[in-house]
Amino acid sequence: MTTVSEHEVAKAATRLSQAASGRDPCAPVRDLIGPENVEAAYAVQESLTKAALASGRRLVGRKIGLTAVSVQRQLGVDQPDYGMLFDDMDVPNGGDIPFGALLQPKCEAEIAFILGGDLDTDRLTSADVLSSIEWAVAAIEVVDSRIAGWDITIADTIADNASSGRFVLGHELRRLNQIDLVACGMALEKRGEVVSTGAGVACLGSPLNAVLWLARTMARIGRPLRRGDVVLSGALGPMVAAAPGDRFLARVEGLGSVSVGFEGAPQ
Amino acid sequence: MVDVKALAEIVDEAARRGVAVAQLTDMYPALSIETAYAVQAEAIGRRLQRGERRIGVKMGLTSRAKMQQVGVDEVIWGVLTDAMILDDGESLDLDGMIHPRVEPEIAFLLKKPFTGEASAQWAADAVEAVAPALEIIDSRYQDFKFRVADVVADNSSAAGVVIGPWRKPDLDIANLGMILSFDGRPVQVGSSAAILGHPLRALLAAARLTERYGEGLKAGDIVLAGASTAAEPLRPGVNVQLQVQNLGLMGFNTKERK
Repeated sequence: MTTVSEHEVAKAATRLSQAASGRDPCAPVRDLIGPENVEAAYAVQESLTKAALASGRRLVGRKIGLTAVSVQRQLGVDQPDYGMLFDDMDVPNGGDIPFGALLQPKCEAEIAFILGGDLDTDRLTSADVLSSIEWAVAAIEVVDSRIAGWDITIADTIADNASSGRFVLGHELRRLNQIDLVACGMALEKRGEVVSTGAGVACLGSPLNAVLWLARTMARIGRPLRRGDVVLSGALGPMVAAAPGDRFLARVEGLGSVSVGFEGAPQ
Repeated sequence: MVDVKALAEIVDEAARRGVAVAQLTDMYPALSIETAYAVQAEAIGRRLQRGERRIGVKMGLTSRAKMQQVGVDEVIWGVLTDAMILDDGESLDLDGMIHPRVEPEIAFLLKKPFTGEASAQWAADAVEAVAPALEIIDSRYQDFKFRVADVVADNSSAAGVVIGPWRKPDLDIANLGMILSFDGRPVQVGSSAAILGHPLRALLAAARLTERYGEGLKAGDIVLAGASTAAEPLRPGVNVQLQVQNLGLMGFNTKERK
């Protein structure tokens, strides 16, 4: 993998943050950091994370992406990716996302976990992760890309905070011993029609496998998962594009439902 | 004039011998759905004459994606006979099939006939039991390509059915996770919600359509509600398993090639 200079990393970060603040999608950043350079891409993401924290945003969790084998294959990778969740990305269950707040949003249905303990030790195991999870809830992740037309390689999406946008947590809290995380059915409705279906197994065989990968990765890079963090574990079925006026409802069998709307264009 | 008997012979012989044929709509581009169901009935009549017994119906094109693919806005149905049944855990011989595929489904067992009022209440009262099911489909047309009239005439590609353990319909089946695995690895993942939004809607559609184009639903009938995922091509020597959330596990093997 070729080394990418700090200068190019900074330029990529600037391009993405200008696209976000100006609400104007930008060109991919792969011309600066390379189409498959995962390391450089995370350096761009980290630079954006530092800027976000410096501006007062609070880090409240993580999202895991690329948790479907088919999506990994499309992007030519063999592992998931992660992005940061900040306090201002949290949309209340049933709420509406203002028109124009996002550039090119899509929705996916997931299971989110709320952690009851820190995962900051070395060499984390499945048991550590299982016992640290306080609650599981149904969730909708609204993904978005700052890159025009979602024209992304693995490096583009990672640099762009794993294409994160907003997240919505359901209100029906479940313990791990009350639910079947592997066989649970998922149905995502748009305007009342089922538009995406799946099951827990679609997320790396079990959403908990994704959380274990994330917890280990976060401990390694020095941003360990903490008590109270939200983890969006990855899509249970295909994502669906959202248009102004759309309303989405996700049902995960055994975990209830969660919904979000997109405000229509102003008259 | 379309010769219904002749067309029935074409699709029935293709199924019996396992040899693909050209689409009927190549010959008769204007073949209507009504005529296609007449061909289907005639072809089923040939099966019954050979000693097969009607055991129920199967629904097809029950997902929006499939309806759009074939360019229709209504589901279709076909007839199941006892010769198509394979027991849970048995081995299936792919010899004699053309290009078989398998789909994960939900099966209903009826205890009441359909009386002409397709209400949710009838559906709730009529179901004796539900089960996870695998349907084997095998279009008798070359390259699995057809128009809707072709597939209706070809008994909606019905080729085989495996039913898992029946249980009382005392659970919510609207959104059950469905995992189809080959040799222990998931190959298709979905939810029963993909079946018209709720599998009971497929049962209501079965009641309406079989009355319009056939003899209706009877007590003791099995109704396959339609696929919850895309169909997966079958190959010899594979273990096929379906897990349906809250309904359990079932499956079959395909025999090694001789």
